[in-house]
Amino acid sequence: MSMEQERGIESSIIECAGVCKSFKTPEGEHQVIKDFNLQAKENEFLVLFGPGQCGKTTMINLIAGFEKVSGGSLKFMGKEITKPDPSRGVVFQSTALFPWMTTMGNVEYGLKMAGVKKEERQKRAQNYIDLVGLQGFEKSYPVQLSGGMRQRVGIARAYCNEPKVMLMDEPFGALDAQTRYLMQEELQRIWEAEKRTVIFVTNNIEEALYLADRILVLTNCPATVKKEYIIDLPRPRNLVSPEFLALRKEITGIMDSTL
Amino acid sequence: MKKGVLKYRTSDKTVNAVCACIAIGLFLILWYWGTAATKLGMMIPGPIEVLQAIGRGLFGKVGRHSIIAHVGYSMMRVMVGFAIGSLVGVALGLLMGWYGIAEAIFNPLFRIIRPIPPIAWIPISIIWFGLGEDAKIFLIFLAAFSNTTLNSMAGAKSVDPEVINAAKMLGASERQIFTTIVLPASVPSIFAGLQVAISSSWATVLAAEMVRSSEGLGWMIVAGMNNNDMIQILSGIVMIGIVGFILAIIMRKAEEVLCRWNKSGE
Repeated sequence: MSMEQERGIESSIIECAGVCKSFKTPEGEHQVIKDFNLQAKENEFLVLFGPGQCGKTTMINLIAGFEKVSGGSLKFMGKEITKPDPSRGVVFQSTALFPWMTTMGNVEYGLKMAGVKKEERQKRAQNYIDLVGLQGFEKSYPVQLSGGMRQRVGIARAYCNEPKVMLMDEPFGALDAQTRYLMQEELQRIWEAEKRTVIFVTNNIEEALYLADRILVLTNCPATVKKEYIIDLPRPRNLVSPEFLALRKEITGIMDSTL
Repeated sequence: MKKGVLKYRTSDKTVNAVCACIAIGLFLILWYWGTAATKLGMMIPGPIEVLQAIGRGLFGKVGRHSIIAHVGYSMMRVMVGFAIGSLVGVALGLLMGWYGIAEAIFNPLFRIIRPIPPIAWIPISIIWFGLGEDAKIFLIFLAAFSNTTLNSMAGAKSVDPEVINAAKMLGASERQIFTTIVLPASVPSIFAGLQVAISSSWATVLAAEMVRSSEGLGWMIVAGMNNNDMIQILSGIVMIGIVGFILAIIMRKAEEVLCRWNKSGE
């Protein structure tokens, strides 16, 4: 913990120190996260990479403010996180779109709740609809869109509130492989165009290496940070370059010993 | 989503329409044959006589009013009672589904009142409201209310918690979550309740009119019984069926429009 604390606290937007989370089950306390430390810096693409049910989603829920920590400290811009806030946007694996709203309705929802006037908010929403490449689908309902397009709506919706941090919980986990590659490229393009701090959860090593500035490899339940990798390969990354493959092999090796 | 549940399911509207016409036609032929060729004819009139009577009475006179006017009286009562009853039912149901404390307070009471059929309240309604319109509207109110409440509650309860989280994350307040998320998300369940409520209201108005009234389709069949006029009874019954059928179609169309988002585009 001390090592991470020494490293530039000023610039970190999310600060997570010794966070624990456990749930009550009929069999007793079930610890999901144990002594978790992380710091997310401004405009950094941070990937939490770990095996299946290792508590990654719980970590996102804690940072989002959907759930409360059982122990330790979890701060956003110096303040303890107590509840969800528009400054921390979330992209859900299930998309969690509002199915009775059109693409426009979904994307402008946050601004509407904040009381932004219709003309202004539709202009701003249109901006993000264009950014994610959904122009022409403003009036479509989620059921009328493909899985990849739905997740684009999810990304635009979170972006439209202009959050400081984007939390992405396996956003492409439910997509087929082809769409998944495409969406990874798209996300990289969107992120380059509109830099944000991103905390991205995945169990796919290629996805992690393709997108991340930094990867935190997590242990299996209870989750804690096992190892950190700083990925400074040039973007867009070549999935078959020797450096990429070497990193892939190394991190996969670590994972195997974790399981 | 529903694939595999039903063995045969056609989306071809013309096939469905043809099947419906054939079935109705066969039923009418069977009815005609039964009344013309068997002793059944002594007990009930045939379809032609009934349809002729309806045709004559539609704008003519059955008692003091035309059949259209009788339908109008019954519909008026249903509309008022249904509107008030479903409004109160939906509001109470959503509150019960969303706020645990509202459910804790109202649900036990409601569970006891709900199984009592509206017609069981007829004596009380007459004592309370007399023999006029209020008593009938009160009964229809009960019919609509009890059928919408539980469905609305189920709707509010089944809202995807992740969708709620998404709204919170986007900055919605508690009140905004209720009005912009819980309410629209419950619309399909609410409509399931409204469907039952409208048929139950329709059934109730007839029962109420049969007990005491001087107009309406319920009056028409009771007056037919008192005069031993089988044709009038059957024309009333046929009209009840037709109106009930139309009401159900209107509700389904309304649902289709309001729940467009719930069906896939393919």
